[in-house]
Amino acid sequence: MRNGTRLGGLTWLAAVVTVATACTGLSSSGSPGSGAISVNILTFTGPQIAEPLQRRAPDFRTANPNISISVTTVPFSDLYQKILTDVSTGTNSYQAFVFDPQWMGDFVGPGYLEDLSTRVKADASLKWDDIGAFFRDFSATYQGKVYTIPLDGDFHMVYYRTDILAKDGLKPPETWDDYLAIAQKEQGQDLNGDGQGDYGSCISKKRNAQAYWFITSIAGGFIQTDGTNQGAFFNTADMKPLVQNEAFAAALDIYKKTGQFGPPNEINLDVGDTRGLFTSGRCALSMDWGDIGTLAIDPTTSKVKDKVGAVILPGSKMVLDRSTGKLVPCDATTCKNAVNGINHAPFASFGGWSGAINGKVSTAVKDAAFKFLSYMSAPEQSNVDVTIGKTGFNPYRTSQFSDTKLWVKAGMSEQAAKDYLGAIQASLQSPNMILDLRIPKTQQYQQVVLDKAVAQFLAGEIDRDTAMKQIYDGWEAITNAEGRDKQLSAYKASLGVQR
Amino acid sequence: MRTLFRRRSALDLGPVSKAISYVLLVAWAFVVLFPLYWLAITSLKQPIDVDSGPVYLPGVDFKPTLDAWKYILVDLQSDTVRPYVNTVVVGLSSALIALILGSSAAYALVRFRYSPRVGVIGLFVGCILFTIVALALGAAVPLAVVSAAAVFLILYQTVGRRFKRVLGNSDVAFWLISQRMLPPVAVVIPIYVLFQRVGLLDTRQALIITYVATNLPIVVWLMRDYFSNVPIELEESAAVDGASPYRIFRSIVLPVAVPGLVATFLFVLVFAWNEYLLALFLSSANAQTMPLTVAAQNATRGPQWWYMSVLILIMILPVIAMAVALERYISRGILVGAVKG
Amino acid sequence: MASSDNSETLDARGPTPVEGSGLEVATGERERVAGHTFRAAVSAKNVFLWPALLVVLALSIFPLIVSLYLSVSRLEFQANGIDVRFLGFDNYASLLFGTEQDHFIGVLKPLTPVGWIIVAVVAAITARAFVSYLRGVNVRLLGLLLRAIAGLLLVGLVWLFAQTLFAQGGRPGTLFVTLVYVFVGIAVQYLLGLGLAVLATQRLRGQRFFRVVFLLPMTITPVGVAYMFRMLTDTGKGPFVPLFDLAGLQNFAWVNDPWGARIAVMIGDIWQWTPFMFIVLLAALEGQDQEITEAALVDGANRRQVFRHITLPALLPVTTTVILIRMIEAFKIIDLPNILTNGGPGTATESLTLEAFFDWRTLNLGRSAALAYMLLIVVTLIATAYVNLVRRRVTATA
Repeated sequence: MRNGTRLGGLTWLAAVVTVATACTGLSSSGSPGSGAISVNILTFTGPQIAEPLQRRAPDFRTANPNISISVTTVPFSDLYQKILTDVSTGTNSYQAFVFDPQWMGDFVGPGYLEDLSTRVKADASLKWDDIGAFFRDFSATYQGKVYTIPLDGDFHMVYYRTDILAKDGLKPPETWDDYLAIAQKEQGQDLNGDGQGDYGSCISKKRNAQAYWFITSIAGGFIQTDGTNQGAFFNTADMKPLVQNEAFAAALDIYKKTGQFGPPNEINLDVGDTRGLFTSGRCALSMDWGDIGTLAIDPTTSKVKDKVGAVILPGSKMVLDRSTGKLVPCDATTCKNAVNGINHAPFASFGGWSGAINGKVSTAVKDAAFKFLSYMSAPEQSNVDVTIGKTGFNPYRTSQFSDTKLWVKAGMSEQAAKDYLGAIQASLQSPNMILDLRIPKTQQYQQVVLDKAVAQFLAGEIDRDTAMKQIYDGWEAITNAEGRDKQLSAYKASLGVQR
Repeated sequence: MRTLFRRRSALDLGPVSKAISYVLLVAWAFVVLFPLYWLAITSLKQPIDVDSGPVYLPGVDFKPTLDAWKYILVDLQSDTVRPYVNTVVVGLSSALIALILGSSAAYALVRFRYSPRVGVIGLFVGCILFTIVALALGAAVPLAVVSAAAVFLILYQTVGRRFKRVLGNSDVAFWLISQRMLPPVAVVIPIYVLFQRVGLLDTRQALIITYVATNLPIVVWLMRDYFSNVPIELEESAAVDGASPYRIFRSIVLPVAVPGLVATFLFVLVFAWNEYLLALFLSSANAQTMPLTVAAQNATRGPQWWYMSVLILIMILPVIAMAVALERYISRGILVGAVKG
Repeated sequence: MASSDNSETLDARGPTPVEGSGLEVATGERERVAGHTFRAAVSAKNVFLWPALLVVLALSIFPLIVSLYLSVSRLEFQANGIDVRFLGFDNYASLLFGTEQDHFIGVLKPLTPVGWIIVAVVAAITARAFVSYLRGVNVRLLGLLLRAIAGLLLVGLVWLFAQTLFAQGGRPGTLFVTLVYVFVGIAVQYLLGLGLAVLATQRLRGQRFFRVVFLLPMTITPVGVAYMFRMLTDTGKGPFVPLFDLAGLQNFAWVNDPWGARIAVMIGDIWQWTPFMFIVLLAALEGQDQEITEAALVDGANRRQVFRHITLPALLPVTTTVILIRMIEAFKIIDLPNILTNGGPGTATESLTLEAFFDWRTLNLGRSAALAYMLLIVVTLIATAYVNLVRRRVTATA
């Protein structure tokens, strides 16, 4: 009997579990409203990106009672393989995705994505021509066909503290040499009035985070001069990587050198950490996407409201001669797009969250999904969403720059709004914007080979030349395994180069 | 203080040892609790309090706020409750099933002798390969399975009996534990495909089955040792009295092994409660569990420490409650009492 | 597949039930004695064991075979799904000899004297174990062959290990970083866990509190623990910043130093998994008959003697089990290095599973599976050696 009471707790537990398990069958079979076309959209869990989709879905439903939208989210870091597993095994649990257009290289080839060209043309409310030319013609387009609808504009800019630079009589950086000079001057100064020394520059250098984008942002100004379709990753003639030359060497050195004027543990900081440092007033300079602009006006995250300026990515007065691999000075022929003798190449890293539709679902569902994505991107919705920090949406439409009122309403000062939008506009209108790599196995080129070599170089495991050789060899190995012709034509297709 | 240091039996410590013991216990308790304290206060901070350098005491060096708690529990109510219920159901069910199946298997491995033939095992593996090849070549599923089973039976009756080499209980146990050696990244896609074929993706059942299978080897290994400490005389006398093996197992062996059962239950519960990668793939909208929600707090804006802290805290509360409730079962005297009868 | 190889190795010892338990000689006889009364035993025998075996079998065979096949092939995404192209052993070759060698194994350099000593000691121990097997009664050809292979692999592994760690300019790859995590981690966890379990079984007030508290770290999801340690170890905003400043280490960052980063990962691992050792050992200690201990103490034995001669031997079976389980789990360490440092600085903290994960998440499933199988081979080798060597020792003392 005594044993019976001792086991009592376990028996009780067993009963609870049995009941709970019994409920499993009942509760896991929820189905959306009958008669409606249901569209399940996959994106990542955040307040960002998912929030506006979820917030606007009910309004959309009111206008379109026969379409029911549900948003499923997974952790950001696992979105890519989750989507690819789902479509490649034919599971097709999701009818639409809000994802990184960089992944198009892997998705378009096997036909996982729907061609949206005709739908886009037929849809007046989307105001396609209002979308920045770069996002319209390059980011959303692959081989001349439209596959995604942009919801967000992503590219790197350099942020600086207006109060600090004004105090020391410095101008915002135009070249990376300027950047390093400012960082060196401010390193160790107290920038937020807490009596502690702060940092000249905060740029994320963590492995397997964003380092491979930042190195490209620095290298871009040295490598790409002739406009977006020149490309900054491979030679468009023979698919040889552009990573073993004086330009890339200079970029590696600059990237490493910014670390001298940053936090001691910068090698382990990802972009979330550097944003936190910048908005809490501990850095004079930083390189980031558009997010700092909206985070800086949020009182729960920021001590630097109205003290933040932004400029287009610094450029270079020396650029790469692709035939020799050497750096040559900027002139009218070598730098067609130079401003004041400086070649800028803003980098549309990541490319901005965009909506795409699964190619394997019925036409009715595709139409419904398109309707929702178009609704999200239309200026009436998007021009408001881009001013809200937590949406994670950054500006990508011309109409979003013309009017600073929305931004002032969101909490920016007139001057800050002008600064922020000016930098975005300068980048967006640059004909020399760099398109992020989007060919089959993009993730292996960037996240595995490039990222590892850069991390090893920053940590001092290997020297600069070994790092460049490692990237070159690693990229060549992937290219050879995939087939050089196939990769080259995919690369050209992504750049919009006519064959 | 006198009761604290009074010595009652030979097992009690002397005052000096007692003091040292307390110091050590408190020191480790501090090591364990400080990180949790840090989580607790982080959940009360604004982002700016986290980013601008360490602050330690709510109300003293920063102003506590319940924003993060409100966001997780109120704003995201359904997105928190759904995975939470899933975690509870999946964790408890899979732990209990694994405990039942695993402890009986462990008991069997301690008390009975098994001698599987090498030839039969080889034959079995061969037939599974045959099925897979047949499926890869496009055979229908029932056809492939039935013909493989037929081949297996025929060969077993004719050739299989000629291979006399046998394995022992320890080999069975080792085979079980070796099933945990492959890292999850290697098995997650095949398991995904498996559940996709049977139409169980995004259900709690899929997660329960998976966790039972992955946790069974641990139950078997741990319970084997506890059972082997149970004196066999008790079972023998019960057998002489005519009790069936099932009854002996249920009424004599299990009660005596309660400390081990409780410890093992806590382990497999915790493993299932906290598993990430398989949960990520086997669920999409309905069956997501809490570890996914925690990991998801690191998105494009960097880790949202405040939300993450709230989630971790609410995630461990039930496990702590369970540990408090079950701790008394891991207490002295059960075995001794049972032996004395 | 690989598991049947293990079984072969184990089989060579001859069938002995219940390894590692003090009862093993007895059980065989007992079963025969009890055989008369256990009429129902024949069916019970199957009912008890088979459900568990079938569940494990159902979910393990298919993934095992699929990933073996993936490891010798390459994936292509096609319009109608996935195309798997057979490659042969390219994935393995690139890890062992090719472009990934310095990543997987490490940078190999000539040995220092310390390195030579370590290799010699391990070789001597292995040789001795091999010779003592030869002298035994139960020598079989298959057993001999498998032992010879296992021994050579083991010595080879140690030799490579020494070339990365005990050599000028050498750098350990993911394989050896993982081994360091496993062995250092388990040693510390076991000792801490044992010490805490002994303390927690003393007759002191507040034990229930301590027991529950000591259990806590294990209950947190590993991803959460990793993020928590990232917060705690941050040298800009973590709680220990003032301590660093006091020590004059304002510009110190553990993460810039390969060993600093590895130690941070190990501390996190130890913090989380010491409770596992603690609770298993606690349950085992509580299961022991206190009267024997008490009697010994009354008879004038001191506590150290009681611990050494009564408590410890009784804990041996459970000890071998927890160490084996933790070893198998620890080889799969991934969340801490992934979240704490993402494998950095450079590749210093990257574990084998993390390397496989990085490949896997860019859908290079072939190399990922090859890495997983390399891990399986190493774990099997070490686990088999462990079971064989330690089991014999335990049997000898028990």
